[in-house]
Amino acid sequence: MRDDPAVVALVARAAASDQGAWDEIVDRYAPLVWSICNGFRLSTHDIEDVAQSVWLLLVGQLGTLREPAALPGWLATTTRRECLRVVTVARKSERLGTELDEAAQFVADTVVDEEILAAERNAALRAAFAELPPRCQQLLSMLLRDPPCPYGTISATLDIPIGSIGPQRARCLERIRKSSALIGLVEVGVNLPGGDPDA
Amino acid sequence: MRNGWDDEQLLGALREAMRARQAVPSWFVAMGKNAYAWHNIDAELAQLTYDSQADTEQLAFVRSETASIRALTFTSAHLSLELEVGEDSLLGQVIPPQAGTLETYTKAGLTSTPVDESGYFAVEPIPAGPFRLRFHTSDGADVVTGWTTL
Repeated sequence: MRDDPAVVALVARAAASDQGAWDEIVDRYAPLVWSICNGFRLSTHDIEDVAQSVWLLLVGQLGTLREPAALPGWLATTTRRECLRVVTVARKSERLGTELDEAAQFVADTVVDEEILAAERNAALRAAFAELPPRCQQLLSMLLRDPPCPYGTISATLDIPIGSIGPQRARCLERIRKSSALIGLVEVGVNLPGGDPDA
Repeated sequence: MRNGWDDEQLLGALREAMRARQAVPSWFVAMGKNAYAWHNIDAELAQLTYDSQADTEQLAFVRSETASIRALTFTSAHLSLELEVGEDSLLGQVIPPQAGTLETYTKAGLTSTPVDESGYFAVEPIPAGPFRLRFHTSDGADVVTGWTTL
């Protein structure tokens, strides 16, 4: 994860005043920040507070992040810290007891490493999908629906014979496997069981 | 996903990746993107460290009188901004006291207010929605609060 060239490049471009690169960073990792906030069961108002702080801290540190490739870990840690700050303020005012304390601590101590790995994997998969030709994106989008589109509908919508949907699906998925986004992920071992202990 | 992932597993992982993205509200993403407006504004973030409203709720059973003035404190490593919510303005002081400029950012835009040598300032009118304050001086002090709603 710490060598993911895509993340390093995005951080460098964003630090050099490229709004597009920043937007891509946010698109990639907003789900990670969001899921951590939800783990703390924060109100919408508190989630806004946390998100503002997290992204502003990142904007302020773009040029000085010690390890740009470790960005997902930095985001997870920072989000968790900001959530704890908000929870602490809430506890002070509402005098909630140890129950919230324990809940917050539990959330703080667990899941985060897995969340970072899942966020990296999801971001790479979405990036790989975005690199696909439009035909592949259309086909996979229909197959990704829950429940998936029936082959008959896909055949009619995309104007391809039912018999060629399977082979096309296989070719599109193979493109994803060979995409630079996923290859980068595999190289740095994100999907290894347990992942990178230093991440 | 490494070569061990078959097509069904890869599709499942893709579905999960898309679901995680779709679960995020658009306002949340927009908020993150808008934060980039602060890039290259070299201000230090001041956190909300005190809010009298939080404390009055706590002390309600001790003191029965209400109508106390709402007070807030934002603290950064180098200075604090102390605020009191008046009837039609936001009165504040920079601690340690120093002159400079206070900027109030709201969704509508930006207004500037002078800060006198004792560090006092007044923001009028009181921002109706979320706002943040940035204080800066000619000798390089530059502090900004997080977004706040009164």
